[in-house]
Amino acid sequence: MPRIVREADVVWEGNIARGSGRISAVTSRAFTDLAYSLPARIGAAEGKTSPEELLAAAHGGCFAMSLAGELAGAGTPAERLDVRCTITMDEVEGRGHLIVDSALVARAVAPGADQEGFAKAVTAADEGCPLTTLIKASATVTVDARLKEE
Amino acid sequence: MATDRTAEVTWHGSLMEGSGTIDRVGSGAFAPLDVTWASRAEDPSGRTSPEELIAAAHAACYSMALSHGLAQDGTPPDELRTSATVTFVPGTGITKVALTVRARVPGLDESAFSAKAEAAKSGCPVSKALASVPEITLDAALV
Repeated sequence: MPRIVREADVVWEGNIARGSGRISAVTSRAFTDLAYSLPARIGAAEGKTSPEELLAAAHGGCFAMSLAGELAGAGTPAERLDVRCTITMDEVEGRGHLIVDSALVARAVAPGADQEGFAKAVTAADEGCPLTTLIKASATVTVDARLKEE
Repeated sequence: MATDRTAEVTWHGSLMEGSGTIDRVGSGAFAPLDVTWASRAEDPSGRTSPEELIAAAHAACYSMALSHGLAQDGTPPDELRTSATVTFVPGTGITKVALTVRARVPGLDESAFSAKAEAAKSGCPVSKALASVPEITLDAALV
């Protein structure tokens, strides 16, 4: 398989408490100059993104693609998947700030899929999403996935 | 105190022919952003991907951790320019993250800077979350 390379960059000015940074997608240019700061990262977001929110978007996107792939592979492609990912960062005694949990909630409309087939697809998607594998090495990943009526 | 950050994604159809959207993030700072398998694995055509978002998360986290480490020693940076490049091999996973930082830090020599740059690489929360990536490299220099 080919190696796929994706790049992003950041400019940061000043110290951590009062400084601020800007985040840009270099490869796609899909987003540029997203502002972030320490107060917005650990307190109220006030319109600013954060490393953890970007990780939530990455993991939600990764899991949605994995589940779409598994459902299609089982002959019951998703008409629609809704995936929400919540990343929790906490201060752990003696270890500083850590990402401790990624919670995925998925609701799927997949005509023809029964509960058993859907559960298999969810398990395979959980095992197949590369970001799930990485996060599981140091934090918990939970998946709450259900079929919805059309 | 724990901090939660949320993103919502919608996908329609199969993996290869279908498409998705990162509809909403909790902060409202970006979205909607379209995603497809073709733009993830081949030509991005202006669309982001999970790997690019991880690169953005890691570069942002690393920069903040380094600014903290430098300020603790009384030499806060004027400016840090950080890039993260994530390598993804379908079927294998994320195989590498390459961090590059160029820093303007008044009053600091190269060896003291280098120690701080390495400490930020192991200490930032995203580095810890990605610790099982087989290879994480750092190219750090003062400018």
